[in-house]
Amino acid sequence: MSTSVRRTELPLTMRTPAPEARKRRRTSSPGRAPATKAFLILPSVVILILTNAYPIAYAAFQALHNGSLITPGDFVGLDNFAKVLADPAFWRAAGFTVIFAIAGVFGSWIIGLAIALLLRTRIPAKGILKTVLLLPWVVPIVVSAMSWNWLIGTSSSPVPSLMHALGFGDAIFLSDPLGAQITVCLFEVWVNFPFMMLMMSAALTSVDESIYEAAKIDGASASQSFRYMTLPIIAKPTYIAWVLMTIFCVNDFPTVYLLTHGGPVGATNTLVVLAYKTVFQNFQTGPGVAIAFLMTLALAAVAVLLFRQIRKSTSS
Amino acid sequence: MKNVLPPTAMSRRGFLALTGAAALATSVSACAAGNVGNTSAGGGILKFWDMPWGNQDYLGAAQALTQAYKPGSGLPGASYQQVNWDGFNQTFSSAIASNTGPAVSTGGGFQAFQFAKQGAIAYADNLIDSFKKDGTYDDFLPHTLDAMKTSDGYVGVPWNLDVQVFWYRKSILDQIGATPPETWDDVLAVAKKASAKGYVGFGISGGSGNYGPMAVLSLMINNGGGLFNSNGDLDIVNDRNAEAVDFVTELVKQGVVDPGSVSMKDDDLTTAWTNKKVALGFQSPAFNNVVGDEKDVLVTNPLKSRRGDIGGLYYVNNIMMYKNTPSQAGSEAFASYYIKNMKTLWQKGVMQGLPALKSITELPEFKANAQNTAVVEKWQPICKTTAAQSGTLSAKLATIDGGQAMTDFCQTVLSAKSPSKTILTKLESDIKAAIS
Amino acid sequence: MTTATLKTRTGTPRPSTEAGSRGQWLRFAILVALAAFALIPIGGTVVLSLRSNNGTGSLTLENFTNVLSSSGAVAWLLNSLQVALATVVVSVAVAAPAGYVLSRGRGRLVGGYSLLLFVVQALPVITSVIPLFILFSHIGLADNLVGITILYVASSMSVATWMMAAYMDGIPGSLEEAAWIDGASVFKGFLHVVLRNSLPGVLSTAIFTFLMAWNDYLVASIFLRSAGAFTLPIGVQTFFQQHSTDWGSVMAVAVIMLLPPTIIFATLNKYFSVGGVAGSLAGQ
Repeated sequence: MSTSVRRTELPLTMRTPAPEARKRRRTSSPGRAPATKAFLILPSVVILILTNAYPIAYAAFQALHNGSLITPGDFVGLDNFAKVLADPAFWRAAGFTVIFAIAGVFGSWIIGLAIALLLRTRIPAKGILKTVLLLPWVVPIVVSAMSWNWLIGTSSSPVPSLMHALGFGDAIFLSDPLGAQITVCLFEVWVNFPFMMLMMSAALTSVDESIYEAAKIDGASASQSFRYMTLPIIAKPTYIAWVLMTIFCVNDFPTVYLLTHGGPVGATNTLVVLAYKTVFQNFQTGPGVAIAFLMTLALAAVAVLLFRQIRKSTSS
Repeated sequence: MKNVLPPTAMSRRGFLALTGAAALATSVSACAAGNVGNTSAGGGILKFWDMPWGNQDYLGAAQALTQAYKPGSGLPGASYQQVNWDGFNQTFSSAIASNTGPAVSTGGGFQAFQFAKQGAIAYADNLIDSFKKDGTYDDFLPHTLDAMKTSDGYVGVPWNLDVQVFWYRKSILDQIGATPPETWDDVLAVAKKASAKGYVGFGISGGSGNYGPMAVLSLMINNGGGLFNSNGDLDIVNDRNAEAVDFVTELVKQGVVDPGSVSMKDDDLTTAWTNKKVALGFQSPAFNNVVGDEKDVLVTNPLKSRRGDIGGLYYVNNIMMYKNTPSQAGSEAFASYYIKNMKTLWQKGVMQGLPALKSITELPEFKANAQNTAVVEKWQPICKTTAAQSGTLSAKLATIDGGQAMTDFCQTVLSAKSPSKTILTKLESDIKAAIS
Repeated sequence: MTTATLKTRTGTPRPSTEAGSRGQWLRFAILVALAAFALIPIGGTVVLSLRSNNGTGSLTLENFTNVLSSSGAVAWLLNSLQVALATVVVSVAVAAPAGYVLSRGRGRLVGGYSLLLFVVQALPVITSVIPLFILFSHIGLADNLVGITILYVASSMSVATWMMAAYMDGIPGSLEEAAWIDGASVFKGFLHVVLRNSLPGVLSTAIFTFLMAWNDYLVASIFLRSAGAFTLPIGVQTFFQQHSTDWGSVMAVAVIMLLPPTIIFATLNKYFSVGGVAGSLAGQ
C-alpha cells in the first residue's frame, strides 16, 4: 500500500516548479506547492494506511471464515453474520452499547458544560479545582478501574458499607444487572466529563462576556441569556464534541472490561466487549470479528454522515 | 480568531530543551527496544510459559527451577515467563498465531486439546515412552495420564491436579458450636448459624475467574450429574443437576451467601477467607496455605448430596509442548527435566495443586500440611473431570471451561431469580452454540 | 485556550461577579462537590498506598520502597516513559506538517483526507489490534516498544492532526506569505514561520499524545509478552493479580503510574487545549 502511494508521489515531486517561480505567480496559500504539501502529509498517510488497510482486509477475511486465530478455516460466506444477527446476546449488547453511549455522551456533556460555565465566574482556588477536575481523564483507566473496584466492588467496600450503615440495605452495585449497568455508565461519565469540560471551556471563550452585561441591562434573566445567547454560540462545538464522544464511547473497551468483564450475566456487554469475549473466551473468531465488523460498519456510516453534516452546517 | 497572532506562551529555549530531552529519550528508547528484541526469533532459547499456580512465592520458585535446567549437549536452554490467568486465552492464541508463542508451557486444563485440534501441539508420545522406560510412568497418579490421551496421541503431560475441595474455618465453627458438615443439609445448617453471627456462611465468587462456576459444577457432579452423559453427549437439563442448582439457590435465598457473590472476584473471596470472614466453601488444595492459616482452615470429608451421592470436580493440569520450538528434542528434554524435578515446588510449599506424581505426595514436606493428605486420600479418588460422566476429554472443553456460558450460568444461579430447569436449559443452549 | 489566553493578555476587563458573594459560594460549593466526585476514588488509592500494612493505619512510604525494590516497577516505569516520549516526538513530527496541510489546504483531496482521519478514528482498535499483532510479529515489531509506539502514533494521529490544524488556523496566512515574498519555500515557511509560532499548539498535542500512550491498556496487553518489555499498565495489571490481597503494594504501583500524567497536567494544564479540535473538524 505504502509503495503505491510513493509511486504516485514521485512524478508530482518532479513536476514541482522552483519555489521562486511559484512565488511570483501566486501568493495565496491554497493550492500552493502541492508537492511540498503532499510531502508534508505523506508520513501521516503512510502510517494511516499501514495500520488500517491490512487489519481491515484481514478482519474481512476472518469474518467470512470459520477459522481460529491459528488456523484460517473454511470459507463460510455470510454464515458468521447470520449467526451473530440471530443471537439475542448480540442485540442485547447492541442495545446496551446505545444506552452506554447516550449516557456517556450526555452525562459527561452536562457535567462538563456546567463546570465550564462555573469556571468562567469568579471562584476561589480555581487553578486547583481545575486540575482536580481533570484527574479522571488524566489517570490511567487501569488505575481508576482498580480504584472504583476498591470503592464499590464488594460488600465490604466503602460505599456499600456506608450505605448499609445508613440503612439502605445491601447495595452491591456490580452484582445486580441494572446496578452494574448504571455503575458502568456512571464510570464512563466520570472518565469523560473532563474532556467535555475542556471542549466546552474552549467553546465558551468565543462568547464575549460583554454581551451579558448588555443583556442584563435589558432585563434578561441568567437562564434567558444562557438559552438565547450562550447556547447558539456553543451549538456547533457542542455538536462536534457529541460526535467525538459517541465514537469514544462506542469503542471504549477497558472501562467496561476492567470494571465488570461485561457481567453480571452479560448485562454490561457492549459490542466491543462481546466481540472480545467471543474471540478469546469462546474461541469463535469468525463470529467475534463479524460483531466487530458490523459495529465498525455502523459506526463508520454514522461517522461519515455526521462528518458531512458538520461540514454542511459550517459552510451554510 | 484567525486574525490574531497567538502569543508564544512558553519561551522558545524552554521548548527546545524539552524537545531535545524528548529526542534523547527517543533514541534511548530505540536502543532499549532493540535490546528487548524480537522474542519470536527464539535464538536457540526454549521459551517456557507458566501460570501462577501457587502462593506469592511461587513465581520465584518456578523461575529458579527453570534456571537450574542444564541442557544436554546441542540442546537449547530454557527461559521462564509468567502469564496471567486474566486473558490467558488471548495471550496464548495470539502468540501461537504469530509464532511468538512458547515451546513448552503450562496453561488451562483443556488448552492442550484445543491447540492440538488447531495443529499447534507437539504430541508427547515420545516423552511418555521415555517415562515408561525410566519408571516415571508408574509414578503418575491413576487416570491422570489417560486423561491426556487422544486418538492422535498424548496432548500433554500431567503435572498437578486441581481438586475442588470443601473447606471450613474451624474457629468459626467452634464459635457457633458446629461440627464440620458431612451432607448438603449440614452445609445449609452450619452456614445459617455462621451467617447469624455475621460471617459469610458459604463463600462463592461468581465474578471474573473460574471458581464460582467450578463450585456449582462440583455440586452437580457431587449429585451424580455434570455436563455430559457417559456417552460423551451433552446432558445438562436433568434432575440431578436441577437439584444441585436448587441447593445453591436455597443457600442464596437463606442469606448465607455474600450478597455481592454474583460479581465477587476470586481474589476478593480469598481476601475474605484470609480476613476470617468465611465459614465454608469450595477451594483448591493447599488453600489453607494460601490464606496463611494452616491450622484453622481445614478440609471436610467429601459431602453427601441429598440423594446420598458423593463426587467432586478435578482438573488435570498439564505441561504441553508446541510445534513451534527451536528443537523438539530440546522441548522433550526440558519437559522431562521439569516433571522429574518439580518436587521442589511442593517441598518449598508454594504450590496450590496436588502433584501428579505419587512420589511427591509421599514427601515429608508435602505431608507436613495434614490437609494435603486428606485431599489425596479422601477427595482425589472420588473426583471426576469436567467431562463427567463421560470418560474422555475433548477440545470442546476448552471452550466450556472458563467460557462465557459457564460464567453466565454461575451468575444466573447466584442471582437466584430463575427456576433451575430454565437456567440449565439456557446453559445447554449456550454451550451448544459455543461448541458448534 | 488561544483566545482565552489572548483575552487576558490583551487586557479585556473581566466582568465583575454581579451575583454577589452568596452566588459565588454556591457555585464554589457545586464545584467542590464535583471535584470530590472526581477525587474520591483516586484519593482512596493514594491513601491506601500510604497506609502501613501492620494494621495500625499509620502513614508510611514502605509500600513504595517495597514495590520499587522488589517488583519490576522501575523497569515498567522506564519503558512507559520511553514509549510515551517517543510517541510524543513522532506524533508531533507527523501531525504538525499534516495539520499544516489541513489548515492551509482546500480542495477535494485535503477534504477527503480529513474525512478519512475521521473514519479511522471511528474504527474500533479491537478489530485491528490482533491482525496487526500477527503482521508485526512477522516483521519483528511484536513484543517490543517500537511496535507499540507505531500503534500509539497511529491511534492518536487523528486527534493530534486536528489539534495542530486548529492551532495553525489561528496563525494568519499573511505571515507565511511575507516569508515567501522574502524567498522562502513553502516548506521553510511552514517550518520557520508557522511551526515556530505554533509552540503552544505543539505542547498541547504533545500532552495529549503523551496521555494516550501512557494510559493505553488494550494495545499493550496484546503486544507485550516479555516482562522486560512491559509498560506500566501491563506491569500493574500483572502485579495486581499476583498481589491481589496486598492492597498497599498494589495501590503504591497505581500511584506510581498516575503520578507522571498528573504532574504534567498540574504544571502544564494552562498550555493544554483540546477544544480547537471542534473548530478544525468543522473546517473553519
